[in-house]
Amino acid sequence: MKGYRKYFGKKILWFVITLIVAVVLNFLLPRLMPVDPVAAITGKLAGQGATDASAVQRIYEHYMQEFGLDKPTYVQFWLFVKNAVRGNFGISFSQYPRPVSDIIGSAIVWTVALQLPAILVGWILGNLLGALAAYIKKGFDKVLLPVSLFLSNVPAFGMAVVMLVIFGVTLKIAPIAGGYAYDMIPHLSWDFIKSVISHYQLPFWSIVLVSIGGQAVGMRSMSIYELNADYVKYARFLGIKDSKIVGYVFRNAMLPQVTGLALSIGTMIGGALVAEIIFSYPGLGSTMYSAVTAADYPLISATTLIITIMVLLATFILDIIYGFIDPRVKAAQFE
Amino acid sequence: MGKVMLEVRNLKTKYVTRFHEDVYAVDGVSFTIEEGKSLGIAGESGCGKSTLALSMMGYYFPPLHYMSGDIIIDGRNISGLDPDVVRKSILGSEIAYIPQAAMNALNPTQKIIKFITDVLRAHDPKKDKKEIRDMAEARFAELGLPKETLEKHAVELSGGMKQRTVIAVSTILNPKVLIADEPSSALDVTSQKMVIKMMRELMEKGYIKSMLFITHELPLLYNVTDDIMVMYAGQIVEKGTAKEMVFDPVHPYSHGLMGSILVPEEGTRGQKLGAIPGAPPNLKKPPDGCRFAERCKYACPECRYASIPEKPFGEGRMYRCLKGVDELKEVYSGE
Amino acid sequence: MKNTIRQVFHSPKFVAGFAIFVAILLVMFIYPLINPGNPLEQIGVGTFAKPGTYISLYDAAKTNTQTLRLPEAADNRIAARLSMDDRVEMINWFGTMNISVEGLDINDTDALIELWNQNYDPSARPEGMTSAKINYYKRLNNSIAELSASDTISIADYDEEGNLAVTKTISDTDYVNTKDVANVKTLPLGTDNFGRDVLKELVSATGTSIRIGLIAGIVATLIGLTFGLLAGYLGGVVDDIIMFVTNIFTVIPSFVLLILITYSLGQEQRGAAIVAIVIGLTSWTWTARSVRSQVISLRNRDHVNLSKLSGHSLIRIVVMDILPYIASYVVMAFILQVSSGILAEAQLSLLGLGPKTTQVPTLGLMMNWAMLYSAHTNGSWWAYFPVILVITLISFSLNLMNTGLDQVFNPTLRD
Repeated sequence: MKGYRKYFGKKILWFVITLIVAVVLNFLLPRLMPVDPVAAITGKLAGQGATDASAVQRIYEHYMQEFGLDKPTYVQFWLFVKNAVRGNFGISFSQYPRPVSDIIGSAIVWTVALQLPAILVGWILGNLLGALAAYIKKGFDKVLLPVSLFLSNVPAFGMAVVMLVIFGVTLKIAPIAGGYAYDMIPHLSWDFIKSVISHYQLPFWSIVLVSIGGQAVGMRSMSIYELNADYVKYARFLGIKDSKIVGYVFRNAMLPQVTGLALSIGTMIGGALVAEIIFSYPGLGSTMYSAVTAADYPLISATTLIITIMVLLATFILDIIYGFIDPRVKAAQFE
Repeated sequence: MGKVMLEVRNLKTKYVTRFHEDVYAVDGVSFTIEEGKSLGIAGESGCGKSTLALSMMGYYFPPLHYMSGDIIIDGRNISGLDPDVVRKSILGSEIAYIPQAAMNALNPTQKIIKFITDVLRAHDPKKDKKEIRDMAEARFAELGLPKETLEKHAVELSGGMKQRTVIAVSTILNPKVLIADEPSSALDVTSQKMVIKMMRELMEKGYIKSMLFITHELPLLYNVTDDIMVMYAGQIVEKGTAKEMVFDPVHPYSHGLMGSILVPEEGTRGQKLGAIPGAPPNLKKPPDGCRFAERCKYACPECRYASIPEKPFGEGRMYRCLKGVDELKEVYSGE
Repeated sequence: MKNTIRQVFHSPKFVAGFAIFVAILLVMFIYPLINPGNPLEQIGVGTFAKPGTYISLYDAAKTNTQTLRLPEAADNRIAARLSMDDRVEMINWFGTMNISVEGLDINDTDALIELWNQNYDPSARPEGMTSAKINYYKRLNNSIAELSASDTISIADYDEEGNLAVTKTISDTDYVNTKDVANVKTLPLGTDNFGRDVLKELVSATGTSIRIGLIAGIVATLIGLTFGLLAGYLGGVVDDIIMFVTNIFTVIPSFVLLILITYSLGQEQRGAAIVAIVIGLTSWTWTARSVRSQVISLRNRDHVNLSKLSGHSLIRIVVMDILPYIASYVVMAFILQVSSGILAEAQLSLLGLGPKTTQVPTLGLMMNWAMLYSAHTNGSWWAYFPVILVITLISFSLNLMNTGLDQVFNPTLRD
């Protein structure tokens, strides 16, 4: 038990440290730049004439007051953290006067509901395929490996566009944009759920397809490595059935894949967020896109922070799970 | 003369490389081991001694292939049997194996008791958990291994403990023949002694009926086994009792090997074989004549093309050289 | 060294990847020689001209004609102008009028028009059909009649008195040779939403994107290599600090950092080179990690110790005794960074944070423009599909090369 405690303690410490650094960066990076973001943005808003001058003025004043932009940097940071902890990210420029937290609150549900299952399903399918390729080897492997390699190199947004054109525009078997039919108001009804499910298909499968490739390639080499391990030979010579040994091998090959997922989840989520834009899926990716196009600074800042926290949490949870399922972790803590 | 436990008759096996070339690693080996006896095999690395160990299991997977010959365990010929029959009724129960790299022989993510369960159930699927645990605990206690070991994963065990656990698991079904392939080479001196002691105990208590011990450390063989064979380039070049082989070797190769070991200087203990200049022949195309001729100080032109049979002499001894025993001894005494 | 390179070129994966990449590079250099000019020049007015060969109608009308009597000409003309939607509507009409369409092939224009001419009744008022629909069928009938009639087209021009006078008639058997027409332009991939030649733009964008990838890769490799060497070779506190920073930046998604930095830079500051450098600045952690672990395993090798005892300088030891041994890892990491750099640029551009749009096209910007103008929903595949294909091929070829190298340098993966 002591080994576990040490491992989890370490992981929690790391989570806290990276979180702090991420928050600091999120706060500091925009402020390190030569251009004053608020002035630039309000200037741009006024220039575009999209918002009337008094609204710009109101936004500017609200922003200055809320975040204390006229105060020293450390005071600003303190305010930033205090507000962030309370879930207060200010008022959106582009959807004034809607609070940023409200926009993000509704977007995050869509993103999590889309990406979490998609990445998990892609991970599982990819590992199965990779294991199969390693075990069957001849012929099958020759076809599957190049295909997986090719698939894993299709960018997520490219896969999204191709899927959208084939299944949405040409075959018309799935809707191409949004999280639900545009003429519906979210509520709990059978029609709405059906609409949500049909809108879910294309974004879901395009993320799944992209993640399969990379996982399959990794799992294949891991499995080949394990199949050549000494314990395989030994177990065979003790009369254990091949099917049982394959079980050992795939379990052992799968475990590092959990860490692999933890390490690549940031990149995967990044790609998947961009795929959201293609489908105008009402998640964080599309929110970020509209925030960028509308130069909505508070919304961008909050979205990036939330995405970082999501990635850090996902990594942390995967690390914890890994600690439980791989006994090597416990052993390593005693060394 | 005791009951013959293992008889190997003219066994030939080969490796097939990635480029479809045949490497004749075991090329016509014959010997017997009687009940209660142990036989040591010595030779340079690459001489085919480890391949011989693998070949004797009667269970082949690429790149190793069976060509011809018989392996008879306690009167039952296992060569040519269906692989599944071999797996179920021979491996582990009739003939067992302790691998060269015992450090990695155990699946790192599996509990020892779970592995023992798999081994026992591979031979008797109906065995219940209680029975298995009792059996494992009893055997571990008898061999002086703590019973907590059963609940541990391989990664949590020290090198010496791992090796002893491997020996205990290999012999849990009381095999008639135990093949140990350099079981102690990677261990420190204390652990080596423990391992040797354990093997002796297994023989004395009758858990194993005969033993084949493969090593490149000759002094170890002298202390452990009754008889010694010397192997060179896929063939046995000389065989005799341990005492005869160490103090009175006949074949020029054995003579060279023993000579290089028995120099009474400090630090020669454990000296590796191969102090004879030159390298073994390429086994893709073994030479027609004596395989050692290229490196032999005493070779004559005829040695290079004449086919040389195994020649019996003395009390059950055998050697493979064109020259007579007396002729060779005379040459050695003149040095 | 020579031996290593020979071994690398024996790996089929590496060779395949290398061949694809070199082919892309060759096109990048050769195509602008064949088709020079500014890739961002807007040659078309209007959006998304289809791929194909464009013949100047003005020049064609003034070119001497040749009469060709091709038996299938009339059929082709009708077949090309009668759209599939129209055909489906015709079948629908037959359905409402209870006319059997058994054995009728929708692509058999002759049979379809014959059946139509036999059965269409302009005065019919089928029950439940809207008047808009009825009018549609009337128009359809008119155009079918027009299509079937063989007529000439007259070209009129103003004469000296300012009156229109027919100067030329064109009959349906008149042909011009494309060699005689002064202006013929082939656009293999059509034009984009701004009316630019997509192929020319694509070639130029591929070049820019590869350059972005290379700059990002070089920046990331230099930083990663420096950190990895320092951490691995010096060890101790330096190692602790560098690894602390590296671990943090491994977990914090570089995608988010990229967004924050590029956004803060502002549109004006974002040239292609700046974007490339920023990408490099956020993706060095993998190189640092792998270099460090390699250096640690090398640090106490005999040849390094010998150099230390001989009093060689740190730089000399690193360059002579350590770098050659880790070169393969560095090259592999570099290749991966080039490919992820290209991808990062594309993703940033899709978010609207790519390089500023006025100077050079990049693959990401092309993708962004195509999406902004809904190329994917209006069927203009040539505006986005070649872009996706090129990104995939570049990244596929680089990854193949990397896998090939990996198999050469890590033999356990061979098989």
